[in-house]
Amino acid sequence: MDELKIGTLKGIDKYGNKYYENNRFFYGRNRWIEYAPKYGTDYDASQVPAEWYGWLHYKTDLTPDKDPARPKYKWMVDHTENLSGFSGAYIPYSTTRPKIEAWVPPKSS
Amino acid sequence: MAGSLMKFTSLKKSNINGIFAAIASNGQIHFYSTPPPGTPPPQTKTKFGPLADEDRIFTNLYGKHDWRLKGSLKRGDWYKTKEILLKGSDWIINEVKTSGLRGRGGAGFPSGMKWSFMNKPGDGRPKYLVVNADEGEPGTCKDREIMRHDPHKLVEGCLIAGRAMGAKAAYIYIRGEFYNEASNMQVAIAEAYQAGFLGKNACGSGYDFDVFMHRGAGAYICGEETALIESIEGKQGKPRLKPPFPADVGVFGCPTTVTNVETVAVAPTICRRGGAWFASFGRTRNSGTKLFNISGHVNTPCTVEEEMSIPLKELIEIHAGGVIGGWDNLLAIIPGGSSTPLIPKNVCDDVLMDFDGLVAAQTSLGTAAVIVMNKQTDVVKAIARLIMFYKHESCGQCTPCREGINWMNKIMYRFVDGNAKPDEIDMIWELSKQIEGHTICALGDGAAWPVQGLIRHFRPELERRMEEFNKKKVSSSN
Amino acid sequence: MLRSTLSKVLNGSKLSPNLVCVTFRASSDVAKKPEKIEVFIDDQPVLVDPGTTVLQAAAQVGVEIPRFCYHERLAVAGNCRMCLVEVEKSPKPVAACAMPVMKGWRIKTNSDMTKKAREGVMEFLLVNHPLDCPICDQGGECDLQDQSMAFGSDRSRFTDIQFSGKRAVEDKDLGPLIKTVMTRCIHCTRCIRFASEVAGIDDLGTTGRGSDMQIGTYVEKFFMSELSGNVIDLCPVGALTSKPYSFTARPWEIRKIDSIDVFDAVGSNIVVSTRTNEVLRILPRTNEEINEEWLADKSRFAYDGLKRQRLITPMLRDNKNQLTPVDWEAALLTVGKVLQQAGPNVAAIAGGMADAETLVAVKDLLNRLGSELTCTEHVFPMDGSGTDLRSSYLLNNKISGVEEADAVLLIGTNPRFEAPLLNSRLRKTYLHNEAEIAVIGPKVDLTYDYHHLGTSAKAINDVANGSSPFSKVLKNAKKPLVIIGADLLKRSDGAAILSAAQSLAAQATNKPEGWKVLNVLHKVASQVAALDIGYTPGVDKIREAKPKVLFLIGADEGAINKEDLPSDCFIIYQGHHGDQGACIADAILPGAAYTEKQATYVNTEGRAQQTLVAVSPPGQAKEDWKIVRAVSEIIGMKLPYDDINEIRSRLNEVAPHLIRYGDVEGANYFKQASQLLQEKKSVDDSPIDVKIKDLQDYFMTDAISRASPTMAKCVQAVLKQKESKY
Repeated sequence: MDELKIGTLKGIDKYGNKYYENNRFFYGRNRWIEYAPKYGTDYDASQVPAEWYGWLHYKTDLTPDKDPARPKYKWMVDHTENLSGFSGAYIPYSTTRPKIEAWVPPKSS
Repeated sequence: MAGSLMKFTSLKKSNINGIFAAIASNGQIHFYSTPPPGTPPPQTKTKFGPLADEDRIFTNLYGKHDWRLKGSLKRGDWYKTKEILLKGSDWIINEVKTSGLRGRGGAGFPSGMKWSFMNKPGDGRPKYLVVNADEGEPGTCKDREIMRHDPHKLVEGCLIAGRAMGAKAAYIYIRGEFYNEASNMQVAIAEAYQAGFLGKNACGSGYDFDVFMHRGAGAYICGEETALIESIEGKQGKPRLKPPFPADVGVFGCPTTVTNVETVAVAPTICRRGGAWFASFGRTRNSGTKLFNISGHVNTPCTVEEEMSIPLKELIEIHAGGVIGGWDNLLAIIPGGSSTPLIPKNVCDDVLMDFDGLVAAQTSLGTAAVIVMNKQTDVVKAIARLIMFYKHESCGQCTPCREGINWMNKIMYRFVDGNAKPDEIDMIWELSKQIEGHTICALGDGAAWPVQGLIRHFRPELERRMEEFNKKKVSSSN
Repeated sequence: MLRSTLSKVLNGSKLSPNLVCVTFRASSDVAKKPEKIEVFIDDQPVLVDPGTTVLQAAAQVGVEIPRFCYHERLAVAGNCRMCLVEVEKSPKPVAACAMPVMKGWRIKTNSDMTKKAREGVMEFLLVNHPLDCPICDQGGECDLQDQSMAFGSDRSRFTDIQFSGKRAVEDKDLGPLIKTVMTRCIHCTRCIRFASEVAGIDDLGTTGRGSDMQIGTYVEKFFMSELSGNVIDLCPVGALTSKPYSFTARPWEIRKIDSIDVFDAVGSNIVVSTRTNEVLRILPRTNEEINEEWLADKSRFAYDGLKRQRLITPMLRDNKNQLTPVDWEAALLTVGKVLQQAGPNVAAIAGGMADAETLVAVKDLLNRLGSELTCTEHVFPMDGSGTDLRSSYLLNNKISGVEEADAVLLIGTNPRFEAPLLNSRLRKTYLHNEAEIAVIGPKVDLTYDYHHLGTSAKAINDVANGSSPFSKVLKNAKKPLVIIGADLLKRSDGAAILSAAQSLAAQATNKPEGWKVLNVLHKVASQVAALDIGYTPGVDKIREAKPKVLFLIGADEGAINKEDLPSDCFIIYQGHHGDQGACIADAILPGAAYTEKQATYVNTEGRAQQTLVAVSPPGQAKEDWKIVRAVSEIIGMKLPYDDINEIRSRLNEVAPHLIRYGDVEGANYFKQASQLLQEKKSVDDSPIDVKIKDLQDYFMTDAISRASPTMAKCVQAVLKQKESKY
């Protein structure tokens, strides 16, 4: 990512990100991701799905396809990237009453 | 005047047998020749008391005789009242001034001067005399004897004192608990009205004067003059700020003088027998006779009329039959009612019972209610109980009294057990100093003084208790 | 000091102005020796009048003596003992608040004795005071906090806390406005004295004595008065705090903006406390001429109405006859189109809270459109001198002038609820000046005794022709006042009543120069400014004219309704609250309430004052005159002012006094007014009525207070109180 590196392709996730490893680099720099071309330069770390996050951050050495212990449930939702600042951003509803309560015109027939 | 006096004394002597009997029962008949009025100034006198029977003013103090109009006429009340009234206010005030009479309610303010304050040119407002018969001080029981057994002395006194001030009416504010006293007073007032002594053209002197009686509802603080005025007006009995003094703004906003029952009741006799006669008793500036109430650890507690400046020891020995267990068994005496500081035995030995004598002993004559405590007394507990009384009776209006006495009360009850540190003695001393003189009325002072007296004279006792308590605590915790 | 019982007893029911005067010491002293006496405060010499108290004398040289119970506007109680100071040669310290100075006194406010006395009193006050400052609403503005810092001891020796606790007192329920934490009470009795002296309600008092003394209402009762909120300000500790404001903010967090109250025509000076663009509370601001330092409850507590029922977006009636929110552009274009089409068939009605800027802008706009139909909701007779002469519609003698009066005739007004602070002045006059007060109108509780001369309007004539017992009092009075309620003049014979009152006032001949007998008491804040600018009082003309477009400027009293207007009349409502006016409107332009704009109001005395912006208008609401200015630009008749200074110079052109803030522009045209009198109609016999008779009617009288939950609670509380046996 943003540099020239040679490594083994360990896998591709369903969003098209490619994960590489080269143990010739020292620990901490030997695993990396190459974001899918559709992101262009708009990539960010939240685009790494949870199943690859663990491998990329050394929580496990097994890539998702080689790890039979990974749970798979029906209710698990798809990964979404962080949408803060975009129209899809999550905004929690307010739990406080508004400072000003507006007048609601009476319904006239 | 001399003629009237002569007649007066002769009348009195003819009636005196009953009193002889009364006093004889106590085994205390003392004939003592008092110098007639007009003899050398009293300060030359060195021996005071006991009082001769013919010089007694309250001749029915023990209720041996009829207290109603008929009986009182026999004893010389209402005799030539008209002539006294006709002599005018200046004469009466002058006579009271000569007599050196000082207020009998505790503060000891010269009565003649106080009454003369009322004689300023008026501004159209009526003037009132208020008689303070709210005798609530623990240990004091002199006014009730007057009102119960000699009410006409007071009624007549109201008229004469009222005339001296030019008052329109007198209000007698009587303590709520005094039921019999109030009813006797009411009867006496009614009798006086019926006999034409009061009301329009009182005693035929052309002077209109009314006497009203007002019963209190049982608050000690209503004995304070401004609280009493508030109470008469129907408000809560809470002392007013002074100034303005009652002589300016008193009952219903009019000039008022508040005086003690005894002060008023002796006025007629002073006028009849002359101020100089009254002044011949006691030391100078402390002249006259006085009702002493002796209670506590004495053989025969009593109320007795005595000459001022009588030595305390003599007073107790002659009239009260001595301290229980003998004079050496005496621990301390509260000489003037609960609010005065106590004095230990060594002071009691030779102190004179008058205003100046007791002030010199760091206490005060107060109402001359002598409370005797012998060595079986728990003196700390006794004072603590007094403070509890003051805590209960504080009106709650001003801060030092409301909060301070409550606090002192808490500390005092710990002192009874000794559950305190010795430096708290200094603290409570300081607290009492913070209350004293910082309040609207004198109740705060009255509550502070007993504590101060106790600390002044019984500090070792307090410290001993604390030590004992701590020892016990240590041994029980081990 | 309260009016003495004696004088009332002696006076009886007779109507004698020569009362048996109960002179109090201070006043008689002043009469005897007017020359000043010299005293020394901390060795600084100062000359004071006889009868001055030590505390006042010290204040003259800038020495402040600590106090809790003392308050300048209340009787001296002297019970907190905080103000003890040493006087040379006096064995005891004296209470500075009560002790009049004597010649040559040397007062030491900083001596050891004084300091010790203060320290002692402070210790005693704190003995039973809970140290709950962190959860106390008074924290930060608490006299006890401040003074214990300044004058208290630096250490505690309250060892008894290990043996017994502090006194605890049950809280009292004083109603929906005042929250009590009675354990904090230091028994200064300021609240009691305020209630009995100023508010005229003897509901508060003390029960018990000594350390069991409690402040309360004797029986379980609310403390409901139109001035009750003032005890919150008076309380030096946190015993009485504001219920609506409780646990809301700390004094150091809030911004304070000086402003003017608009709930009545008095124009009380207020301070609006805000935080994060929200009005948190309203406090009075001292103005000796108007409200002293009091504030009426509606003015103080109705602020939560500013947050409810607000118009925050422009609205237009759609084809389904529903009001729907639109943006400003659409609203302004629609309004502009309608106005252009209507041409001169336009009318405007100004409500009770309209400010002078808006009033003049609307009038200019309508004049440009060719219409003269600018009216106010509240009526005033136009016959005779009408509104042409200012003196016939002002409270000419000023609010503070009421205090000097010795005879007052109230006609058709209930000042207690129409102008509570004027009523407190009247009560003061009654108490201290022995004023004789008479009322023509319904019998209402005014908190003082008055002579009721009847409910019929004919009683005015009786007073005028001398057949009434009060006419003599009025004639002999040195400083008589006649106060007419503006509401009364609504009647068909209103002009006749006004002229009768004018002739009655002219009879008073003993009066000093400059004393003005005739006074009119208005009920709403906008009326005087509207009349000054040239609005026509009353809406009768509009009914006759049948306009095509009606412009309502905060007019919510229902003076006109749809039936009075042609069916195709387009109603524009410009205001801040959704109320009656907004309901009938076809277009709504959201304006700003009085806390949200810089605006000019003229009170009933004719005193111009301005409010300042405390918070910004909510949502898309805008300052009112700017909306009018925008409309004018859209219809191509641009008004020539772009900012507040320019519109104020326009105000200056119309009536210069409108921008002389703080000053009263008096008027004295009584002679001319009586010359213009034409006794056309006679006063008819129907009884006079006032709208607000009782406390429950007082709380909700306008768009803001009708939207306020606190005011609704007050009404409920008063009704509940009525049912209680006390």
